[in-house]
Amino acid sequence: MTAGVRHNVSFETNNIVLIALVAILYSLFKMATVLRSQCAFARLFAGKTVQILNNSTDLGAKLGPGSQSVLSRKYSNYAHSPFVTKIKEQYDYEIVKKPAEWAFVERLLPFETIPAVSPKESYPSGWIPPKEEAANLPYFIARTKNHEVPIYLEITYRGMRKITKIRKIEGDIWLLNDEIKSYLKEKNNRYVETRVHEIGRFIETKGDYVHDLMQWAYSKGF
Amino acid sequence: MGSRQITEKSLSMLRSLPRISLQNIRDNPNSKLKNKRGRAQHGGDKHGAGNKGSGQRQNFMRLGYETGNNPFYLRIPQEHYYRGHHLRREYPPLTLHELQRIIDKDCVDTSKPIDIASLIKSGFYNFQPDLKQFGINLTDEGADIFAAKINIEVQWASEQVIAAVERNGGVITTAYYDPHSLLLLKNPKKFFESGQAIPRRMIPPSDLIEYYTSAKSRGYLADPEEISKERLKLAQKYGYTLPDIEKDSDYKMMSERKDPRQIFYGLEPGWVVNLKDECILKPKDQELLSFFNS
Amino acid sequence: MTSALISAIKRLHISVVPQIRVFSSNAVSVSSLDQNTLSITKKDWAFKPQYTKPREVWIENIDTIEEQKLGLFELHPLVYAASPRIDIIHQNVIWQKKIRFVSWAHTKTRAEVRGGGRKPWPQKGLGRARHGSIRSPLFRGGGVAHGPRSGKTHFFMLPFHLRLNGLTTTLSAKLAQDDLHIVKDLILPTDNPEYLNDLIEKRNWGPSVLLVDDTDYAPRNITVATDSIPHVNIIPVYGLNVFSMLKHDTLVLTQAAAERIEERLLKWLNADTRRQQQAYKLNQV
Repeated sequence: MTAGVRHNVSFETNNIVLIALVAILYSLFKMATVLRSQCAFARLFAGKTVQILNNSTDLGAKLGPGSQSVLSRKYSNYAHSPFVTKIKEQYDYEIVKKPAEWAFVERLLPFETIPAVSPKESYPSGWIPPKEEAANLPYFIARTKNHEVPIYLEITYRGMRKITKIRKIEGDIWLLNDEIKSYLKEKNNRYVETRVHEIGRFIETKGDYVHDLMQWAYSKGF
Repeated sequence: MGSRQITEKSLSMLRSLPRISLQNIRDNPNSKLKNKRGRAQHGGDKHGAGNKGSGQRQNFMRLGYETGNNPFYLRIPQEHYYRGHHLRREYPPLTLHELQRIIDKDCVDTSKPIDIASLIKSGFYNFQPDLKQFGINLTDEGADIFAAKINIEVQWASEQVIAAVERNGGVITTAYYDPHSLLLLKNPKKFFESGQAIPRRMIPPSDLIEYYTSAKSRGYLADPEEISKERLKLAQKYGYTLPDIEKDSDYKMMSERKDPRQIFYGLEPGWVVNLKDECILKPKDQELLSFFNS
Repeated sequence: MTSALISAIKRLHISVVPQIRVFSSNAVSVSSLDQNTLSITKKDWAFKPQYTKPREVWIENIDTIEEQKLGLFELHPLVYAASPRIDIIHQNVIWQKKIRFVSWAHTKTRAEVRGGGRKPWPQKGLGRARHGSIRSPLFRGGGVAHGPRSGKTHFFMLPFHLRLNGLTTTLSAKLAQDDLHIVKDLILPTDNPEYLNDLIEKRNWGPSVLLVDDTDYAPRNITVATDSIPHVNIIPVYGLNVFSMLKHDTLVLTQAAAERIEERLLKWLNADTRRQQQAYKLNQV
C-alpha cells in the first residue's frame, strides 16, 4: 500500500470488484447500522476496550465461585457504578512517531492566519489585487484581512437610508474626501454629502455609491 | 505631509499632551445612554402593559389562542405535498464562481485533492450536519468563468458543473458522507483532540445508491470505465475537446480518490491521531484491523 | 546624523551585524565606547507594512545605570503606530475593572423580612386600605421590591476586536509619548533595589515601571530587586493589559517580549476571528 490513499482508485481498476461491492451493499447497509451502534459504545472507551471488572475485584477481594457476572449488574447509574481503576489493554496497537501521513493531518488543521494571495497572471473570479504604486499617494485605503477593499453599504430605516462607508483610511483623509466628492459629482451630476471621521478613520457618503467608489479605488491601485 | 496624515498627526499631538493615564481618559460623548427610569405618562405609568386584563395582570392566554374562535394553527389542515419535509436531505449550494474565488485567493491548495474539509477550512463555505445538511451542492453559476484544474469531491453536482470542471482538465467526483462523518470533516481538529479512533464512512442509503453508483453523476461507487465513457459523451455534448488527463503531469494527483470507507485523505479508519505528541496510534490486533478494513 | 548613516546603510541592504561607532550626543565614557556595536537588523516582516512607516526604537542595556544604546529595532506600525483611540482605552479599562467587581449590597425582600405572615386586618369593613402583610414594600419597615441582591457580578466580555485594538492603541500611545523602552534583556549586575531606583532616576523613566519579559521566569537579580519596590513590576507577555500599562508610567519591554507581542497581535489582526467574536456574545439562542 502506498503511504497516501488506501486504494489508489485509477481508471483501470477491475470491474468485478466494484460489481461485487455494489451487490453486497444492501446486506452491508443492514450490518452497518448495527456496527455503528457498537462503534458508539466502543467510542466511550476511546479506542481501548476496558475490562469491566465486577465489584469484588475492584475492592481487591479475590473472585469467589459465587461472584456475580458483569452482565447482570447494570452500571447505568453514575452514583452506583464503581470507578474504573484497572484498564487492561486487550488490543494491540503501535505508536508511530513522526508518521509519513502527518502531512495529511496538518492539511486538515485550520489556518493560523488568513493566507496571503500569491501573484497570478489572471484572477477569473474578478478579484483585483492591490498595486504597489498605491503607497505613493498622499492617502491610502488598506485592504481588509480577507484582501478586499473596505467599502460597504449600510442600509437602515427600512431601506430609506443608504450610506456608503469607506474604512481603514490612512494618510491625508481630507484630501481623499475632496477627491471623492469631486469624482462622485462628475460621475453622478449631483452634489454628494460626505462625513469625515478622523478618529474612526472612515468616510461616509450619503447614498449608494459603492460601485463607483470601488471602481475609483481599483483605478488608484488600492 | 506629516501633519496632514491622520495617524501621524494624532500620535505627534500626543507628544505635547500630558501622559495618558487612568485619570484622563474618557469614552466618546453621548456613547452611553443614561439609564432612565420609567416614570410618569410617557416614560412609564403602565409600562406598556395596558389596562386591566390578562396583559396587565401578567396572566396571559396560551400562545395561538384566539379568544375562543378556531385558531389559525388548528384551522389550516395538513398538506400532503410537504409530508416528510423535516426528513429531507439538504445540500447547501456553493457556486463555481465562489469556488473560483477561493482558488484565486489561495485559500485552498489546488495541487492536492479538494474535499469538503478543505473548503470548510478556507472559511468561505459552511454547513450544519445537524440540520440534515448532507454536504456541498456545486452549482453552475460561474461555469462560464471557471478556469481551474482541480480534483474536487462534492456531494451533488449537475451536468453543467461536471462539464465546467472537466473542460479545464479537472476531475470531479460525487461522494456520500453520513452525518457523523460530516461532523468530523467540519471540525477535524476537535475530533482529533477527542482521542477517538477514526470511524469508517457509512455507505449511502437505498435512495441514494443509484445516484452514487451512476457514472453520469460521477459517483464514487461507479465503474471507472463507464465514467470515462460519460466524460467523452459530455465533451461531445457541450462542445469542448476532452483534455487527456492520462498524459497530464498531475495525473497521479488527479486520479487520487478516497476509499468508500475512508473519511480523511491519507488517514485510515481505526487510527487515533495524537496532535500534541505528533504521532498516530494504529491498531495491530487482527480483530480490529478486520473490522476497520471491512 | 546617526539616522542618516543608518538609512544609508539600509539602502545598501546590509543584513550582517556591522561594527560601527556610535557618536551619540550624550557624553559617553571611554570604556563603553570600546564595546560599541550597533546592531541593525533588517526585519523579515510576516505582514509587510503597507503605508504607515515602521517605528524604530533603540535597544538599551540594563546592566549599567547609564544608558547605552546597543542597537536599532524596527516595530510594526499596526501594533506600535496605531491610531490612538482614547475611547477604546477607556472601554478596556472600565471592562477590566468591572469584570472583577462584585457588589455585596444586599436588601431583604418581603419574604425575608422578619414577620408579616398574617393579614394585618380584615379585607373589608374597616374603611382602611386592603393589605396582606405588614412587610410588603408599601409598608414602612417592609421588604425592598427590586433592591440589590448580594453577590451581584458585573462580568461581561468586551468584543474581541475592542480588546485587541485596546492593546495596540495603548502600546502606540506609550511609544508616542516616549514611555516605551526596549531593553536587550533583564540581567542586572546586582540584586540591590537601589541599583534599579538609581537607574530609573538617571534615565528619567517614570517613578512606576512595568517590565515585560518573554517568559514567566526571570533572572534572580531582577526578581529580588523588583520584589521590594512596589511600583516596579515585572510581568510575562501574556499578562500584558491596558490597565497595567496605564497605571505604570513607563513600559519597558525586552527585545524578545516586543517581538512576541508583535507576533501575537499581528496574528490576531490577520486571522479568522469568527469564533472569538461569537464567544461570550450576549443574547445568543
